[in-house]
Amino acid sequence: MTRHHHGQPDLGTGKKNLGIYVTGFIICSILTLIAFGAVMTSQFSKPVLFFIIFSAACIQFLVQLICFLRLNVETVQGKINVMSFVFTGVILIGIIMGSLWIMWNCNYYMSH
Amino acid sequence: MQSEISLHEDHDVEGTDVFGFWLYIMSDCILFACLFATFLVLHAPGSPGPQLKTWLSLSDILIETFFLLFSNFTFCLAVLSLYQHKLLRIQFWLGISFLLGAGFIFMELKEFIHLASEGFRWDVNAMASSFFALVGTHGLHVSCGLIWILIMMIQIPLLKHQDKIARRRMTYLGLFWNFLDIVWIFVFTIVYLMGAI
Amino acid sequence: MLQKLFFGNLTLDSIPWHSAIIMGAGAFMLLSVLAIVAAITVYKKWSYIWHEWICSVDHKKIGIMYLMLSGIMILRGFSDAILMRSQQAIAAGTHLGYLPPHHYDQIFSAHGVIMIFFVAMPMMFALLNMAIPLQIGARDVAYPYLNSVSFWLTFVGAMLCNASLVIGDFANTGWLAYPPLSGIYYNPGPGVDYYIWSLQISGVGTLLAGINFIATIIKMRCPGMTLMRMPIFVWSALCAMILVVLAFPVLTVTLALLFLDRMFDMHFFTEFAGGNIMMYINLIWVWGHPEVYILILPAFGIFSEVVATFSQKRLFGYTTMVWAIAIITFLSFVVWLHHFFTMGAGADVNAFFGVTTMIIAIPTGVKVFNWLFTMYQGRIILSTPMLWVTAFFTTFAIGGMTGVMMAVPPIDFQVHNSLFLVAHFHNVIIGGVLFGYFAGIIYWFPKAFGFKLDEKIGTWAFIFWVTGFYFAFMPLYVLGLNGFMRRVNHYSNITYQPYFIVAAFGTALILIGILLMILQLIVSIKNREALRDKTGDPWNGRTLEWSVSSPAPLYNFAEIPTVNSLDPYWAFKQAHLAEGRVHPRDMHYHDIHMPKNTPAGFIIAMFFGLLGFALVWHMWIPGIIGFIGMMTAMIARTFNTDTDYYVNAELVKRTELAHVREMI
Repeated sequence: MTRHHHGQPDLGTGKKNLGIYVTGFIICSILTLIAFGAVMTSQFSKPVLFFIIFSAACIQFLVQLICFLRLNVETVQGKINVMSFVFTGVILIGIIMGSLWIMWNCNYYMSH
Repeated sequence: MQSEISLHEDHDVEGTDVFGFWLYIMSDCILFACLFATFLVLHAPGSPGPQLKTWLSLSDILIETFFLLFSNFTFCLAVLSLYQHKLLRIQFWLGISFLLGAGFIFMELKEFIHLASEGFRWDVNAMASSFFALVGTHGLHVSCGLIWILIMMIQIPLLKHQDKIARRRMTYLGLFWNFLDIVWIFVFTIVYLMGAI
Repeated sequence: MLQKLFFGNLTLDSIPWHSAIIMGAGAFMLLSVLAIVAAITVYKKWSYIWHEWICSVDHKKIGIMYLMLSGIMILRGFSDAILMRSQQAIAAGTHLGYLPPHHYDQIFSAHGVIMIFFVAMPMMFALLNMAIPLQIGARDVAYPYLNSVSFWLTFVGAMLCNASLVIGDFANTGWLAYPPLSGIYYNPGPGVDYYIWSLQISGVGTLLAGINFIATIIKMRCPGMTLMRMPIFVWSALCAMILVVLAFPVLTVTLALLFLDRMFDMHFFTEFAGGNIMMYINLIWVWGHPEVYILILPAFGIFSEVVATFSQKRLFGYTTMVWAIAIITFLSFVVWLHHFFTMGAGADVNAFFGVTTMIIAIPTGVKVFNWLFTMYQGRIILSTPMLWVTAFFTTFAIGGMTGVMMAVPPIDFQVHNSLFLVAHFHNVIIGGVLFGYFAGIIYWFPKAFGFKLDEKIGTWAFIFWVTGFYFAFMPLYVLGLNGFMRRVNHYSNITYQPYFIVAAFGTALILIGILLMILQLIVSIKNREALRDKTGDPWNGRTLEWSVSSPAPLYNFAEIPTVNSLDPYWAFKQAHLAEGRVHPRDMHYHDIHMPKNTPAGFIIAMFFGLLGFALVWHMWIPGIIGFIGMMTAMIARTFNTDTDYYVNAELVKRTELAHVREMI
């Protein structure tokens, strides 16, 4: 492992600057308004609404990761953070999807 | 086996500490994932009992969302002020973050009490139980975060000459606060917006 | 009214005065505790115990304490086993045995909970603590204070489980407490609540330890030790801890939801109002399957270390070993349904999980072959750790094969929840986990305590354990195939009885094995001067922990080593073989930065324990005191910034030179 004899420690959280926080905040606000607006004005059909709110959620999720959490692959620690996050995400999706599949399957076979 | 002679042989303490907190956040992701999975499973179509839709006020949830989002942003400003060593500004932005977060909790509690009084209680059916568990756990995390912000406001002046420790702790809290806003994105999408459709 | 707030549902009637067995066990526990307290008082060791052990943040001491905890709890867990085996050996036909169902149910539940959570997990953390920092050339784990918190939380969880023996009941639901039996309607008593809180409290400890070890391994390796130069034990620990961090939150949520059902009348797992019982079973096994891999991976790691050392040969196939561990880690999250093939899922779901379960056997097979190839053409030393390894090969292979059998859903439909299943999992847990941990304990015992364990008694203990295991569990396979189910305290068909008698005989052999291990410990302590490890390297080891004295000094390494290959200490010894003498390296000793001991971990855990006990009995005032105490201790600790100190360079120099002198 390399040793660091320098000023800024590698926290894996990226460099701090005001601009990216403001950008992030504005984009997140817009996405939130889009999602709520779409549902509250209820102009669209159900599938379209689902698509809008889920896309808005996923995009806002990514924006918050990059702009606020400052997830990055520039530093060594940043790479480790991203890797652990991706692995957690894979397992998380597996648990949720797996559980939904199993439970739906059980309910179906036990009630037909 | 050579030995490197150095007085500063210590490992990267700050990096290690923040990494550990990041790992805790990963475990918390799984925790919320299970609550989401339970929520979705127990909201199978055709479930009996009162529906959230009946008492849902999306405009309130929108306001709550902005409280939390704005709080997230002001906390980042507090962290920036920390790096600029501007004590009063740190306290100011921390205070604003606290108030916004407290506003979120206040509105959420109001909502819970309203729902319970209207018959959508946590013990009436599985859908309600999973709603209160998921949203309630998120609210509990936010409440702990609020207490933590208060503690930070007390400790930062005390840590005036130990800014490494102050920076580290603010980084933890920043990760935590941010993470809670990210979880909220999924809460309002899956619980409230989907519930209203 | 006030009495209700203080004592909740707890009354003098909560103690089972009428049960001779329980009162006997309780009296034994109480007398043991009193004897220990008396001994400490007479020898005036309270200050020493408090400052050097209870407040310790040193991974070496914490490792020893974990070991002591698991040693104590295995006595309770094994007593449960003796009770069950003796009951089943006599309760055939008209004879009802001496354990009524209500008691028997608590025994098999406690047996499972204790063995997994308070024997196997603490033993694993003992070995991780004892070896990992030394193997990676670090001075301690990443978060020493958190290490102390983790240990004391586990301890408190175990004590809560022990309290349930004499105050109230334990759960009678099996070790996983399926609803609706574990719900408030069928189980209004304190048993399931004891179960929930002892697991939740120790679960927090485990999660924190998982975070601790991942950070330690990723961030604190010595210079030159890249990931692919780490000992395999470190790799296996890393992956096991990744499993801990990702799986334990699932347990936390599941038990919390069960608690909410019981305490607040919620409907996650009730039979009505929309509850879904299968969701509990689904979630508990999402945790449960990774849990067993958490237990086995470090055992695999130990086998790699022991096989390489005692074959005096480099481990065969390092890269494939690492890949095998990584693949097992990932796959362990996609097999969980095989624990409930029979519970209503369709053929498509069953087939998917059946296939993944079969696939996960493959990397394990790769590892077994690599160990065998390591031994091939090695100069094998059949020390006690190596004996355990040889027993592991056969025993675990049989257990693994029966597991692959049950991975096939149609077969599983015949043997699910039968004694065949019970035999399988004991086969892999005892043959894999326990044999591995025993090998590890004997292997690293000198490093922790400064002297070896007696080999002769160790060999006899081994012989009794292994023979006993086969006598105890092979009959169970036959019984299971004949349709005999698990958790049964009496049976009317006496033709099954001979099998149970053989199994009871096996249990008696294992009991002798355990007694021999206790004897081994006593004799080794008595003869410790003769068995002393003067060089720090009693086994001619290959990895860094053998390069320091035994026991390791407080600071582990006077100088953090730099490595440039696998098996760095072996490489160092080969390079210096020609010199033929020991010499203190031309060292410049300097002050070493170490963390201070603190009572905070102990205090937080005690308050959490009070909270747990109070929640079990609905004692609101003690509960609030426990909660506030815990939060105050946690927060107060953060205000303390004076948490480390420097070990004087002179002291370091004296310690190092003393070690050199004892080597000569």
